[in-house]
Amino acid sequence: MNVTYNWLKEFVDFDETPDELAELLTMLGLEVEAMAKLGAGLDDVVVALVEEKRPHPNADKLSICRVNNGKDVLNVVCGAQNFKQGDTVALAQIGAVLPGDFKIKKSKIRGEDSCGMLCSEKELGLAEESAGIMVLPPSLAPIGTPVFSALGLKDTVFEIGLTPNRSDCLSVIGIARDIAAKLNLKLRYPQCTIVEGPEKVESIIGVTIEDPDLCPRYAARYISGCTIAPSPEWLVKRLNAIDMRSINNVVDITNLIMMESGQPLHAFDCLRLSGQRIVVRTAADGEQFTTLDNQQRVLTPADLVICDAERPVALAGVMGGLNSEIESTTTSILLESAFFKPAAVRKTSKRLGLHTESSHRFERGIDIEGVGRALDRAASLIVELAGGVLAEGCIDIYPGKSDRKAIIFRPEKANELIGIDLDRDVIIDILTRLECRVSPCADGSVAVIPPHYRIDLEREIDLIEEIARLNGYDKILATMPIARVISDRPTRHQETEKRVRDLLVNNGMTEIINFSFTAPDAAGKLLLNDDDPRRIAIKLANPLVDEQSVMRTTLLPGLLETTAKNMNFRSLDLKLFEMRRVYFPGDGEDMPREPLCIVGAITGSRDGDGWSRPNEPVDFFDAKGIVETVLDVLDIGGVSWVVENTDPYYHPGKSCRVFAGREQVGSVGELHPLVQKNFEIEKPVFCFELNFEKLVKLSRTKKTILAPSRFPDSARDIAMLIPEELAAVKILECIRAEKSKEIEHVQIFDVYRGKGVPDGYKSIAVRIRYRSFERTLAEEEIASLHKKIVTNLIDKLKVTVR
Amino acid sequence: MREQLEQLRNGALQAVATASSVEQLQDIRISMLGRKGELTALMKGLGSLSATERPIVGQLVNTVRDEIESALGAAIASAQEKVIAARLQSERIDTSLPGRRPQKGTKHPVSLVIEEICSIFSGLGFAVAEGPEIEHDWYNFEALNFPPEHPARDMQDTFFVENDMLLRTHTSPVQIRTMLKQKPPVRIIAPGTVYRCDSDATHSPMFHQIEGLMVDTKVTFGDLKGILTVFTNQLFGQKTGVRLRPSYFPFTEPSAEVDIACVICGGKGCRVCKNSGWLEILGAGMVDPEVYRHVQYDPENISGFAFGMGIERIAMLKYGISDMRLLFENDVRFLRQF
Ligand SMILES: [Zn+2]
Repeated sequence: MNVTYNWLKEFVDFDETPDELAELLTMLGLEVEAMAKLGAGLDDVVVALVEEKRPHPNADKLSICRVNNGKDVLNVVCGAQNFKQGDTVALAQIGAVLPGDFKIKKSKIRGEDSCGMLCSEKELGLAEESAGIMVLPPSLAPIGTPVFSALGLKDTVFEIGLTPNRSDCLSVIGIARDIAAKLNLKLRYPQCTIVEGPEKVESIIGVTIEDPDLCPRYAARYISGCTIAPSPEWLVKRLNAIDMRSINNVVDITNLIMMESGQPLHAFDCLRLSGQRIVVRTAADGEQFTTLDNQQRVLTPADLVICDAERPVALAGVMGGLNSEIESTTTSILLESAFFKPAAVRKTSKRLGLHTESSHRFERGIDIEGVGRALDRAASLIVELAGGVLAEGCIDIYPGKSDRKAIIFRPEKANELIGIDLDRDVIIDILTRLECRVSPCADGSVAVIPPHYRIDLEREIDLIEEIARLNGYDKILATMPIARVISDRPTRHQETEKRVRDLLVNNGMTEIINFSFTAPDAAGKLLLNDDDPRRIAIKLANPLVDEQSVMRTTLLPGLLETTAKNMNFRSLDLKLFEMRRVYFPGDGEDMPREPLCIVGAITGSRDGDGWSRPNEPVDFFDAKGIVETVLDVLDIGGVSWVVENTDPYYHPGKSCRVFAGREQVGSVGELHPLVQKNFEIEKPVFCFELNFEKLVKLSRTKKTILAPSRFPDSARDIAMLIPEELAAVKILECIRAEKSKEIEHVQIFDVYRGKGVPDGYKSIAVRIRYRSFERTLAEEEIASLHKKIVTNLIDKLKVTVR
Repeated sequence: MREQLEQLRNGALQAVATASSVEQLQDIRISMLGRKGELTALMKGLGSLSATERPIVGQLVNTVRDEIESALGAAIASAQEKVIAARLQSERIDTSLPGRRPQKGTKHPVSLVIEEICSIFSGLGFAVAEGPEIEHDWYNFEALNFPPEHPARDMQDTFFVENDMLLRTHTSPVQIRTMLKQKPPVRIIAPGTVYRCDSDATHSPMFHQIEGLMVDTKVTFGDLKGILTVFTNQLFGQKTGVRLRPSYFPFTEPSAEVDIACVICGGKGCRVCKNSGWLEILGAGMVDPEVYRHVQYDPENISGFAFGMGIERIAMLKYGISDMRLLFENDVRFLRQF
């Protein structure tokens, strides 16, 4: 909502400067989002007197003037012809900055000094076109006065961001009213005098409301014999100041009064209405109608239309029709002022994507009691500016009239909730200033009837807010609440989430966050099977773009896109992870599932390009190691790795699934070359995925801690040849199967292929550390236990001990 | 004998003085003072002396031995020092080379800000609550007093999904879910992802919010001001000016926009604060009785406040980021700075 400082002053006498007023409005909840000072920078354009005018010696079309600015008499060269010696003119002095960032400097024009410029209206931004310079009325103001002040054009435009509840402030009077209430000043409502002719309005037109629920009030007046013409300058300027375009005198008046009062008005060319009738009804299904903007609209029974005897002539509260608009030849006008049901206007405006100043106000709710006043004010102004005769009487069909109910309001409740201590009288005074009618009740409370234009005041709490607002939020002391103690320990889910995020970050991984919506083909790029549940994604009904049209079921595509994007920027050594929700449709009526997932990707050099270590690329085991660390820190029991049936986006020979007991909790592997290609990644990437929800459930919170043994250890190594296809983990399982308490630790310390190892075999070296908790183990004991283990390996796994 | 001793002493001291290594000095000790050493041999000859001479010469032998011993000791210590000094000299490295670091990862700035805000509020006794991102209209709008066809719904452009569900437009439905589950006192903070159907330089279709809710007996609007003042001072530094001004949210009344004194210019006015000196960082208010009605709380017995803020906005102010899109581009050159 745009409003100007001078316009507000017409209704209330405040002393505040524009800046002070902006602050006051903002602190009233009418937030000033922007402020534009008209004529800012034009203080150096002053009223001046041309004392002498003579031709320029070196140029036919120029003249040299001696111009008095009240202090000095200056030499100014001018090209205009439309003025004479003794005229009062607008002088832009040296230093002035005209619109378009045009700086006035001292100059020499054809050999003559020029200390300023005589301005035209166009040069001052006061007109689109102008012929010659601006010649001012001689007695306008003392010479030296800034021209904008002298012309009364100095004004400030406030752009106010209104909250949807304050429909009463979608008008200059509404805002002035709030200023008056805050400053305890009197508001001047505009006066209008109605002079009616002999013709009776009923004899010209009849109005029928078929749906009083959607149109509780419809009023109209008739003016004949008027002349459509351009609006007078003051009206054009006023509309321009608030960014409205001038159309013609009648339409401009309807707009002016809408801005002034908040009541949208519509003027019909009465001669173009057929059958001397107005019918307010809902549209027929599929009914067609062309709005003022020359758009053909197809209507539904939810749309309310204003019709003449035959056809719609306006979309109620939204826009008029092309078939009855005011034209230059119009002479008879039917002026409409009505109230339409907010929800209905909103539905029509939304469905048609047609948002107008009128629909904006009706949607939010206008003052039903103000319908007649705005109509009279506009009608009298039309007669004043466009001539013509106003018919006698006013059509006013008001089936929806009802009295406002009183709100029971307890002053002490207001103090209690806000945390202030205002006297009852002060509170009642605030309500009275807001034009509420207040009457005391026997029990100490008061009955409050809010003014009809404040449709947002319906409950006691609404009045409490008004007390806080008018008294000032700045007057409320900041206090600390007195609260009862409650246990607020984070849930296990929350604690684990933080722990895992910390852990990954402490292991060198960088957290990323991608959008939760993705492209529909994301699953395809991962080569997921047709029956993979990750192919069934929740779709957005109104996505912004196709690439963000389904809720993601896996975090991998985003992770891989991020990987590719970073590689394009030559960030080649990456350790990325994302820990976010994925989304699956719920079964039947169930809510969708939103499990938290973790994915990671590593690629490039393991240690970066350092000087101190060989620059080796990361591999599968770096990714697996991160997964192992997470499982270890969360103390997940029964971990096993399965190489079969890994996801299709992994390299089948370099991937595995990880289980905790029977539950798959994740996977790890090198990205399949085809998937790598689908995401335009040029180097191998190793990924892992973890199902966070399962990890939380499986993580053990109680650990058994053993005191370390005080006895010496003894280590034995076994080097063996095993076939390639035998998984190394089988060796470890076979050794651990011995279940001896004396085996403290088993570790694979070397894996070797090459010289001395036949093809199809690998050499594995294992170190077993023996130690007892009870005593020092005798050499013979260790030897016999070790021998048993070696024998087991040979018997069960057919290894060749080297 | 005396002469012999004198000779031996001079010879030994000479040898010690010219020895160049610890090993040579050890050899001198053995050859002089060892079991088969020269001085030991001389001492054995003491027996052949007269009773009167024996103590005198014996005394002399001891003196000579002490003298050699101490010369040896000093020489060995000095030789050892030299050895260590030489070793230290030879083992010098170029310590200016960069250290071998464990790799450093970073949390996303959104996670960092959420953690920081949750930590401030947990210090004030607020528990962290969560809720679904795909919500029913009832939790996201109706129970929060946004009736259908209400213009307030325009404040939040909504993404819709199938089955009449939507992507939550704010974290406020967590208020409803929490109050339906528990009776007052309630003190929660609810961080989460939210979605709105617009995208430009200052709007992202996905962003993050933190919601706060406190309901107890006799909680006042002044208390809201108090809590938010403590919070902003902890987040942006002590004495950050805080201003509440009237606003409107369907689910709070009275409602407020909360501004802090511009952290960029200190309130003097700059581009970031559009010359106002103030930055809007959160919306807040007293929980509207209509909301209590939906969760079966009795507004005559309890009162409370709610507030909500955008994480990205706070991250941008905290870290001086001018373009919100940087937060979701996931460029590691950006992320690794946090
Ligand atoms: Zn600033």
